[in-house]
Order: sequence, then structure tokens, then C-alpha cells
Amino acid sequence: MALLHSFLKMLDRVSPAKAAYAHCDIPCGIYDPHHAQLAAHTVIRMIDLIGQLEKPGPSATPEQRQEYMAKLSRYVLVKEQHAEIYKSEVRILWGDYFKPEHAQQFPQLHDLVWKSLKAGSKGRQEINLLAAEDMLKQANEIATIFWKTKGVPTHSAKAPYPTGRETVYPNIG
Amino acid sequence: MSPALGPGDYVIVNRWAYRRREPGVGDLVVLRDPQYEDRFLCKRIAAVSESGLYAVRGDNESVSLDSRSFGPIPRRLIVGKVWLSAKAGRRETRMPESLA
Repeated sequence: MALLHSFLKMLDRVSPAKAAYAHCDIPCGIYDPHHAQLAAHTVIRMIDLIGQLEKPGPSATPEQRQEYMAKLSRYVLVKEQHAEIYKSEVRILWGDYFKPEHAQQFPQLHDLVWKSLKAGSKGRQEINLLAAEDMLKQANEIATIFWKTKGVPTHSAKAPYPTGRETVYPNIG
Repeated sequence: MSPALGPGDYVIVNRWAYRRREPGVGDLVVLRDPQYEDRFLCKRIAAVSESGLYAVRGDNESVSLDSRSFGPIPRRLIVGKVWLSAKAGRRETRMPESLA
């Protein structure tokens, strides 16, 4: 059997085969809306940083322009990535965590997820603080519902990050 | 799907296995994930309904994502029957990419 495996492995290198997951998406039961909330904070922060970046004037040297471009690129890259993380996290909660009975109990859930994903796309496409704040607002609402389904009360507090926006936290412990 | 299959095993799939007969209970099949159709899963047929839907299960029920969560699947999602599997000599312990 080892020989067959080696042979197939060699074939796989020449012409890669598609993977079939025999044990995928372990329903591990570990979910948390915090990832989405955190990603929204990052998008807000990147927009703040982009806003604070001094634009090179007409008399800027090539080096100053290069530095500006480098910083701007880094902020935009991180904003893109985190808006995508946000969307992915919302989709995971929606597709894997929330069950039909949750949607019955919270009839606004589907609309909320839809709005979150739209906000995530807008936050990704534009340098738009309102859109980024909307991402966090929707994530907070999802978090409130998420923790309610677990019977965990929540509170809202200013986040201890430079973004400082109101964020929903579970009262655990 | 342990012990039938382990991480890194290769399977050769017969796409024509169900041309003349229908998938049967106990068959190890490769199917398209009904939730993300560009991803393939490998499961065992657990039941066939009168309406022609197939319930698939992983061999390790407590940790498998299968028809118990995504429901029975239509015939068109079944790609083929696992014809041959080659076990990886040394079991890889890393997680599949989808979980990394």
C-alpha cells in the first residue's frame, strides 16, 4: 500500500488532485462573535490612520512620496484583509453556529447578517469611516443575539483600543 | 472517516460507478459539499429515501459534518464511488487546510 501511496503522491505532484475532506468542519462548538467585532475595530483604525497620513505636497521628494505610498499601501492592505476576516467570521456564525430555532427566536437575524456583510463589503471597498462604524454596530448586534442564545448577559463598554468605540462584551466569570 | 481513511490518504474515485446502478447504503462516496459546492467531501451513504435523496454520514458520528447538519443530498452532488484508497505510510497529524 505504501508503494501505491508513493506512486499516487508522485502523480499528485505532476497533476495535483482535488482534495476530498473526509473529516472536515469538526462541529467543535467553539464560536465567538469577538473576531468579527475585533476585525471591525481594525478597519476603523486603518481608516483613522489613513486619515492621519500626511499627503505629499507638490514639492515632496521622491523619497517622501515613496514613504507615503508604502504606508498607505500597508494600511489599505490590512483594511482589506480585516474587512474580509469580518465577513468570514459573520458567515461562520450564520452558517455554522446559528440554528433554525435561533432565527425563529430572533427574526431579525437574517437581515442583520445580510446588513453586516453589506457593511463589510463597503468597509472594504471605500475609505469610509461611517461604513466601518456600521460594521462594528452590526457585529455588536450579532454579538448581543449570540450571547443571548447562550444565556450569557452582555454589557456595552468603550473598547480599550485606540478606536475606543462602544463594544458589546459578554459578562463571563 | 477513520479508520477507513486518514489524513493524507489518496482515494481513486470511480465516476462511472453509478451509471448502471444507484448508490447503495454503505458505499463510500465522494460528494460535493452542499454548502460549498466547489469543495469535495468523503462520506458513507447511510440511507436512501424514497424521493431519491441520500443521507450521508461520517464513520465517526460525534465529530462529523454530514447529513445530520446539512440534510440529505440529491444524486447530482454524488461525484462517484471510492474505488481504491492508498493509506499514507506515516499519518500526518496536521489539520486539513480548511481548518488551519
